[in-house]
Amino acid sequence: MSEKLIEFKNVTYSYEDGESGSQLPPALNNINLAVYSGEFVAVLGHNGSGKSTLAKMCNAILYPTHGEVTVEGMNTSDEEKGDLIRRKVGMVFQNPDNQIVATIVEDDVAFGPENLGVEPSEIRRRVDESLKAVNMYDFRLKQPHNLSGGQKQRVAIAGVLAMRTDVIVLDEPTAMLDPVGRADVLSTVRKLNREYGITVIMVTHFMDEAVKADRVVVMNKGSIALDGTPREVFSNTAAVKSCGLDVPQSTEFCSRLGIKKTVLTAEEAVDEIINTYGDAAR
Amino acid sequence: MTPAVEVKNLTHYYLKGTENQVAAVNNINLCVEKGETLGIIGHTGSGKSTLIAHFNGLLKPDKGEVIVDGVNIFENKQTLRQSRFKVGLCFQYPEYQLFEETVYKDIAFGPSNMKLPREEIERRVLTAAEMAGVKKENLEKSPFDLSGGEKRRAAIAGVMSMEPQVLVLDEPAAGLDPAGRRDLINMIKNYRTATGCTVIIVSHSMEDIASVADRVCVLNKAEIAMLGTPKEVYSRDEELRAMGLNVPEITKIFLMLKNRGFNVPEDVFTVDEAVAAFREFAKGGVKK
Repeated sequence: MSEKLIEFKNVTYSYEDGESGSQLPPALNNINLAVYSGEFVAVLGHNGSGKSTLAKMCNAILYPTHGEVTVEGMNTSDEEKGDLIRRKVGMVFQNPDNQIVATIVEDDVAFGPENLGVEPSEIRRRVDESLKAVNMYDFRLKQPHNLSGGQKQRVAIAGVLAMRTDVIVLDEPTAMLDPVGRADVLSTVRKLNREYGITVIMVTHFMDEAVKADRVVVMNKGSIALDGTPREVFSNTAAVKSCGLDVPQSTEFCSRLGIKKTVLTAEEAVDEIINTYGDAAR
Repeated sequence: MTPAVEVKNLTHYYLKGTENQVAAVNNINLCVEKGETLGIIGHTGSGKSTLIAHFNGLLKPDKGEVIVDGVNIFENKQTLRQSRFKVGLCFQYPEYQLFEETVYKDIAFGPSNMKLPREEIERRVLTAAEMAGVKKENLEKSPFDLSGGEKRRAAIAGVMSMEPQVLVLDEPAAGLDPAGRRDLINMIKNYRTATGCTVIIVSHSMEDIASVADRVCVLNKAEIAMLGTPKEVYSRDEELRAMGLNVPEITKIFLMLKNRGFNVPEDVFTVDEAVAAFREFAKGGVKK
């Protein structure tokens, strides 16, 4: 078993009411979760289920009201550890236009390592490597505002890579993208996980993206409702739906046709249908 | 019948007059009929948002005309102002544009600008709130105290309250969870049934468009690549993919089955339709 990288122990988090300062009902309620090195975890959940809150606790943007979150054993509530934790865990947010700071792509990617005080020659090396990893090297001298949403998100991911974090947390990185942009970002994320061994935690509303992860965690009303491989989680259609989510169309279709095996993609669905109904076609 | 919106030879350039000049929409001809729901799809940068911003004169064409309800909207100041009331534009992530102290005031902003009597404003706010699914108890709250989905609905109500002849929604369901997305699409269908208004929806979601639109307009590189019923458009799976678009996953299954010799329909866009269509097919197949 690989090592625990991020661990939530009995974590509860309540936002404060802006006016009265009183605590609102908990956004996260007694969460226990361990993310292991090298995993690709998709976090699903209805709007307001606590997924973004969970994501923001992974690199000490938020820290628990009760309980503790540790990153490689460092407690995120320990202010002195904040910088170290953020060197381990990088974040990519939903809106591609809100997280690009520089006027040239490569300057934007260099922003993180510059702040970490990395040597200029090393920064140069990291920037080039990171842009190549997300397939944006040819755009290094372009202005970010001329890029598509998917390209901007890949630049944002390169910015995290250049900081050499072990974990990358993405909060709905594809929500604002078109199908091609979504596919590009997703394949980039998968590549970083598979080839570079970076641990990925990705919050998403898209079931077809969750299917590509090793593990799916489903949040419901501030708690973890389901946790398992995509096949385990999506085989339980009723439970997924009771959390206000859908299973992939392929999965639902085959299950309603009475096909026993849980399928996750259109290709798998076609194979199973041919297995079951092959004769009908002739 | 006079079309709700008609654009003729519409071209709009960005960075006009510089060496980077680019046509965001290029010689578009489109006629949106009264009472229809038109879906507009296309990759990022295909010109969708630029196109709809012409429908109420937010952008001025470099070439061509925009005719709303038979009137060229750029004829004079009066016609331009009228087009703002006739065509209600709801931008992407409209909740970022909420600004008033209360949800009620926010929804009332449009009709107040139209200088309507107070009772009429009130009637419109309440009607729009109900149609958009804004809860009554939320009307006196600050819009910033609502959840994301509730804010979205309040913002859409703010456009509906102007009672436009044409409601244009840019990615109305973006960022919502599956249940929220379904509710919102149903809300739009009900709005259309209740008002008979013309609705234009821009979306990346082929599923949503299939479930709500009478016709689909596909934009590709600033031009109209396809225009037809969802059935006509979605059967051109490979062309769509080449344009960076995807048919719904369930449609993909049926297209693949068809290719493998299964005699199944190609115009299947939802799981319910798929199950019904497949059972029908299985009956016939077994009999044979």
